[in-house]
Amino acid sequence: MKSLWEHADEIPVTLVILIACWTLALVTGLMQPDAERLAAYGWLTAMQVADGEPWRLVGYAFLHGGIVHIAFNTSMLAAAGPALERSLGSLRFAALFLGSAVGGGIAVCLLRQPFEPVVGASGALFGLLGAAVALFLRSGPHALSFLHFEGPRALLAMLAANLVIGWLLPFVSNTAHIGGLVVGFVLTLLYLSPPRRPSPWLGAWRLAGAALAASLCFASLLPVTRHEWLWNRSVDSGDAARAAQLRRAAAMAWLRQPTASEADVERFYRTIVEPDDAEPDSPR
Amino acid sequence: MADLGNLPPVQRRRWPVLLPLATVWVIALVPPALWLVHRGDPELAVRLALAGSTWTTRTLLALALLAAAALLLFPPAAAGVRLAAARTRRLLASDRGPLQRALADLQHFESAARHLDAGRAAWLLDDGARALVHLRRAIELDPALPAAHHQLGLVLLRTGHAAPARQAFAAAERLDPGHAFGDALLHQGRAAFRLGQHADAVELLRTHERRHGGGRRSQLWLGDALAAAGDRAAARAAWSAAAAPGRLTAEENWCRALARVRPWFGGRA
Repeated sequence: MKSLWEHADEIPVTLVILIACWTLALVTGLMQPDAERLAAYGWLTAMQVADGEPWRLVGYAFLHGGIVHIAFNTSMLAAAGPALERSLGSLRFAALFLGSAVGGGIAVCLLRQPFEPVVGASGALFGLLGAAVALFLRSGPHALSFLHFEGPRALLAMLAANLVIGWLLPFVSNTAHIGGLVVGFVLTLLYLSPPRRPSPWLGAWRLAGAALAASLCFASLLPVTRHEWLWNRSVDSGDAARAAQLRRAAAMAWLRQPTASEADVERFYRTIVEPDDAEPDSPR
Repeated sequence: MADLGNLPPVQRRRWPVLLPLATVWVIALVPPALWLVHRGDPELAVRLALAGSTWTTRTLLALALLAAAALLLFPPAAAGVRLAAARTRRLLASDRGPLQRALADLQHFESAARHLDAGRAAWLLDDGARALVHLRRAIELDPALPAAHHQLGLVLLRTGHAAPARQAFAAAERLDPGHAFGDALLHQGRAAFRLGQHADAVELLRTHERRHGGGRRSQLWLGDALAAAGDRAAARAAWSAAAAPGRLTAEENWCRALARVRPWFGGRA
């Protein structure tokens, strides 16, 4: 907190993020957030992203699920943000925060249930911690020299403790945490704080990293092997033959088998799409 | 003395970088490729994804089984993992400062000692090509510098050039008998073994043992040389000495683990 006040003029991005988080918390309900408002302002579900709302990959990081959630996250941002922003520069810090938020969001889209909503800046905050570790690796006379100091060791311990807590608590999305952590670490190591004497492979790694990031974004926006997405596309499709193909593909993806008969499609419909409906003519 | 004009080029191994890089590209290409397939035939895209997921799981299981089998059939595998971890840690924890300082010093004044420092520091950072350049220059400036010959020999032996390595170790030993607590003599014996000069290797390693005492590594190498020279009984005795239990460094432990199983494989090194 002290550094927040002392260096307020040097950390515009941290302040903007803090203000945005608290403003949205007031708008969506500070004590008990309204689910409809959270959904409208940008909570993240894999299916909404795949249905043409990619801005949710960033928006969810500014929303929170209650006062304890936002208080914890913003205090962590207030503790870690100023030092990192002053160290990296405001533009790079903004890129780091947003990139880590997107990384956490993509991890959620690819690995979690498609209709499970996620909110919170913790994925992006884990990205900041990953960036701090990457900066530590770069800073000393050798890669592991930061382990001789108590501060970095405490940060690593806190990181590990938070990951363990994330695993133990069912309402915490550790997938977003790990996604943000990995993206923050790699983004800083490859792009934001490259070594003073770059290796000849740095360019190749940067290119590969960018290709992988673009590809995973692509997979989140067009999850062509997810049965929910395939079924929705079959509903939207005007072509009857194409719609039948998409329904069979959806049933195959759900059953995890290489073929699907009409009976399988029917079973898929009755079990997943409209469990209470007898006729498969009006999917979700 | 090593023939400095004809030293082979030392290049960094490329596969430790190329393999993960290629893996990242393959993973990155999967989603767009599946989308392209999906545009033509959505069922085929799902079928491919299911097959890919099944085969990835099977491959990972097979690798786990192979690792378990390797541990059972070749017990030194665990010691090898420990050695690899220790080497990685040493590489990560090697100070970059000495190399930077040595290179900066060389810009002001060139000397054999500074080239030796630069070569040694580069080698610690696993940069064999740079180390070779500086060590060659150190020997050109001061051919009577035993440490430069010794270090050059280590670089050459590790990179598979046993003949010039043996010459380099011999030069170090000639200039400073017992150099580096006998390490030059020990590696000269190992280089002779690698060259197939087994009798020479036995002689050199026995001399080393007599003068400097035996360690796990020297006993293992002596056992290898004796077995190759045909003296199985003496080889077994040397391996047995190397295989004695104790608290050891990762490298000594690797040699101990290898010595334990050498007799199983008919003494093949």
